[in-house]
Amino acid sequence: MLDDERVVALTPAAARQGVQPGMRRGGVAAIAPGVLMLERDPAAEQAALDAAAQAVLHFTPRVEQAVGEHSLVLDIGASLALFGGPRNLGRQALARVRALGLRSRLGMAPTPAGARLLACRPGRRVRRRVLRLPALSPLLDTLPCPLLPAAGPYLDWLDNIGCHTLGDLRRLPRAGLQRRCSPALLQALDAAHGRASEGWRDFVPPAHFLDRCELSEHVDRSDAVRHPMDHLSARLCAWLDERQLAATRLVFGLEHERGRHARPPTSLELALAEPAWLPQHLDGPLRERLARTALPAPVIAVSLDVRDLAARPDRNAALFPDPAAIATDHGRLLDLLRARLGAEGVAQAAARADHRPEVANTWTAGPPASSGRAPPPPSVEPPCWLLSPPQLLDVRQDRPVHGSPLRLVHGPERIESGWWDRSWTLRDYFVAEDDRAVRYWIYRERDADPARWFLHGMFG
Amino acid sequence: MPTLPVPVHETIHPALWRGSQLAPRTGRCVATGHPRLDAELPGRGWPAGSLVDLLLPRPGIGEIRLLRPALASLPAHRRIVLLQPPLPPNIACWTAWGLDPAQLLWVRPRQPADALWAAEQILKNGSCGALLHWQAPVPHSGLRRLHLAAQSSDILFFMLRPSAAAGAASPAPLRLALEPARGGVRIALLKRRGPVCEQPFIVPLEPERRPPVPAPLSRHATLDRPAPAPSEPGRLAPALAG
Repeated sequence: MLDDERVVALTPAAARQGVQPGMRRGGVAAIAPGVLMLERDPAAEQAALDAAAQAVLHFTPRVEQAVGEHSLVLDIGASLALFGGPRNLGRQALARVRALGLRSRLGMAPTPAGARLLACRPGRRVRRRVLRLPALSPLLDTLPCPLLPAAGPYLDWLDNIGCHTLGDLRRLPRAGLQRRCSPALLQALDAAHGRASEGWRDFVPPAHFLDRCELSEHVDRSDAVRHPMDHLSARLCAWLDERQLAATRLVFGLEHERGRHARPPTSLELALAEPAWLPQHLDGPLRERLARTALPAPVIAVSLDVRDLAARPDRNAALFPDPAAIATDHGRLLDLLRARLGAEGVAQAAARADHRPEVANTWTAGPPASSGRAPPPPSVEPPCWLLSPPQLLDVRQDRPVHGSPLRLVHGPERIESGWWDRSWTLRDYFVAEDDRAVRYWIYRERDADPARWFLHGMFG
Repeated sequence: MPTLPVPVHETIHPALWRGSQLAPRTGRCVATGHPRLDAELPGRGWPAGSLVDLLLPRPGIGEIRLLRPALASLPAHRRIVLLQPPLPPNIACWTAWGLDPAQLLWVRPRQPADALWAAEQILKNGSCGALLHWQAPVPHSGLRRLHLAAQSSDILFFMLRPSAAAGAASPAPLRLALEPARGGVRIALLKRRGPVCEQPFIVPLEPERRPPVPAPLSRHATLDRPAPAPSEPGRLAPALAG
């Protein structure tokens, strides 16, 4: 790993080939030509640290990221009882960070600075946990000076005067030390011993979920993308769980090959009528949505962006089914149906106040709605089904024919409306019956000569 | 030699009945609202959580009016799903029947396979009150699967199919063939848990004519109001007397 053309970190295998920290790129290439050199990526490091901070938010809302060093400080004073004591909590926190693929060391102390120093303490199998303040100071005194970041500029000088440990540093005259070094050094030392309070900047997790999953190979079948998507949605659910939130809209980005055949990522949006936070609730709609999607090009990575979040509804633990639970179930059903049939495949009534039947009979993909007041009820019962568009009927001997000549049973009901828009309607509606006693709703256009008859409705 | 008493069949198993009787009620049944039809159905109503086959020569012969009283008796928070109806449903009709149009859900899949899938999801989910499913050719395995899914719920599940399907086997415990008739619908019970019903019967459906709409003048309140009580001389209102 190179930073500013110098080696800053290396694997044991590289060290065996003679690579040392601080070497230049050319030097490394000369002595170990097989070593893979990577540029340091501060953004990726910060992202990893953010991910770790989010993972440990599980244990306490107070997490601080130390600037410039890769450490997290957790205030666990209030969480000890919940997670079964300091030892258990530490073990769980380490496991969570390890699950992200990161290696970490944990120090525990009554002061934040002390805990940080203990965590940075080099060596294996050394004591890193102190629970009581009186026991902390002797332990801190044995630590080497370079562990304290504030001592960085003065290390050579301190070394020269024989001051190697923090204990030596503490025994120096304070006034002289403050004059020769910066006040920050003394402050840091005092903070570690619990004699001065430190500022605390809480880590604020981002308000939305954004995650990405690189695929190891090019995937060109949509069902093969499901695995990384499931993985992402599982991570999303864990994230939602931490925040007691629920997602209402998920946007998956399927990234395609870069380079010459670069294409913009395919976006796969999943809007949920019922906020979901459990993998089994996301699974069905996701599967159906994916089955409906054709991939235009092979996919190399999948990202998930969730910005629309809602608070989780309060749940009532009821023995008997209650209407609220049915409404929730119904929302999930709608999500599932929409995922496979498309939004237009599921329609709900949105009646409009209009005398023209085809305008009044409006169905929407959204929630059921009714605009304005309904028109006054017609004198006969309206038909159950409407033909769209109306079907032109044959006319035989001035009588409309649908299979057999129709007999007018009821009517006319005159509709003259819509002169303000394009569909000016001049119609006389009749209820007609054929020779098998099936009833139809037909109309005659009044502005046509000879009269044209249309079948517009059927009685269920 | 003593003879063993013949056990009464009900004591052997509740689901057992004689061929000459209608089967006893096994699950929830919803009254059809037509006394003539109720008398012929086991359980005196439409069975909930079971596939009911309705075979129609063509849509629009009164099938919805036949189902209407049962649909109207559903609780308002449970939806009525119209799955793949042959024609767009008319909201005004449901409003005129006194049903809340917000209860309706019109599902229109693009392919027949999607319709069967949707029906199964709706039945499995169980949040809806009734499912009316129009489908022309259904494989037998599909019918069985839907019937099984229906049994796990308490949804009124009607499958409306063309009359040509009457000859094919169906797992539905109740099958009705409908024919248009003057003033109602003629019903032939093809299959039920009970004796064979040889004669088709006519179920009268209520006339489509609504009660006459009051004349426009009568919409206004009448002017004949009781006159206020005349004030009596010599008696002060209590507020003044105070």
